[in-house]
Amino acid sequence: MADMEARGSRGAGERPVGSTGGLDSPFFLDVTTITVDPAYLQAAAARAQSGTARSGGGRTLMLPLVLLGLLLTIAARQTRLAAPAATRARAALIADARERTALSDRLQARVESLRAEADGVRNKALLTSSAGQLLAERLDRLELVVGSVAVRGPGVEITLDDAPEVEGQEDLTGDGTVRDRDLQEVVNALWSAGAEAIAINGLRLSTLTAIREAGEAILVDYRPVSPPYTVAAVGDPDSVEPAFAESQVAAAFHTLRELYGVGFDVRRRERLVLPPAITRLRHATVPTASARASG
Amino acid sequence: MIPALALAVGVVLGLLVQPSVPVSVQPYLPIAVVAALDAVFGGVRALLDGIFDDKVFVVSFVSNALVAAVMVFLGDQLGVGGQLSTAVIVVLGIRIFQNLAAIRRHLFRA
Repeated sequence: MADMEARGSRGAGERPVGSTGGLDSPFFLDVTTITVDPAYLQAAAARAQSGTARSGGGRTLMLPLVLLGLLLTIAARQTRLAAPAATRARAALIADARERTALSDRLQARVESLRAEADGVRNKALLTSSAGQLLAERLDRLELVVGSVAVRGPGVEITLDDAPEVEGQEDLTGDGTVRDRDLQEVVNALWSAGAEAIAINGLRLSTLTAIREAGEAILVDYRPVSPPYTVAAVGDPDSVEPAFAESQVAAAFHTLRELYGVGFDVRRRERLVLPPAITRLRHATVPTASARASG
Repeated sequence: MIPALALAVGVVLGLLVQPSVPVSVQPYLPIAVVAALDAVFGGVRALLDGIFDDKVFVVSFVSNALVAAVMVFLGDQLGVGGQLSTAVIVVLGIRIFQNLAAIRRHLFRA
């Protein structure tokens, strides 16, 4: 045992290479110092005792080393194959999402074209009588107010944006952030300035549209919008723009721009096109007989 | 010379045949390979120490790889597979590093 340890102790620090470790040896010392299989030492000692020569040439080594080369290659190849698989799954999901969005857009376009067709048929039917003609005119006016038809015309465009982030300084107070209340105030000021139709980031406001906040995002008609916010208002620019400029809201935003760097910009536009709002009419219905029986 | 040749033959074979690994074995293959590498560097160290033995090498090579893979498999069954494979890799990594350092000392006397 003594000579065995002496053989193995070369170059392995203070502890012998082949030590089997005792209760006095901390585990981590073992891990870092016993780096050669103690069986080598035992075999060497056995050989020395019996006087036999070392076994075999290099032939016994062939199989394990071929195996090692094989395993190395397989493992490396597997790792390489696995990475693109994750990427492929991600790409497939993205493609899927894009496809659904496109489908939803197509359906939306179809809804709009069918609605236009229905409106055309309805107007044709109404125009056959004078009472119907009056009704058609009233409908046109109401549709404009309600926001269920696309409109185009001159107007003003107001851009609101969060204050630019100062490097290394988080805006903890939120003073420079545009909130739902800011958008509400601007929209209300535009209505009272005489705007006829308003859209925020291309989402048309109907009489039922809510502007509210959920977490950090602002929702317009339950759909998220992100800064910069473009509030487009169709109306006579010559009356809407000065009326808005004189409003308290405009004055407040000028102050916010000076103090916190909030983006605020009012521009006249010769031609604005606002899409129709998606309106779902909520109205009372007479319950069916079965519903009445169960209710 | 023969061992290096054998290693090259293995690599070429792996590249040519491109065998597919069953999905159930896949997570344990890298661990087994690292354990086998540890056995190889341990063998080289023993060779330089003048105590190398073919039989011991073959046995340590096969058992190292198997034990490492089985340990991680058991860990997976117990829900600590990730941690256990980290532990195995750490221990084997330390050993490989130490053996390479010893081999370097043998070869360059520094």
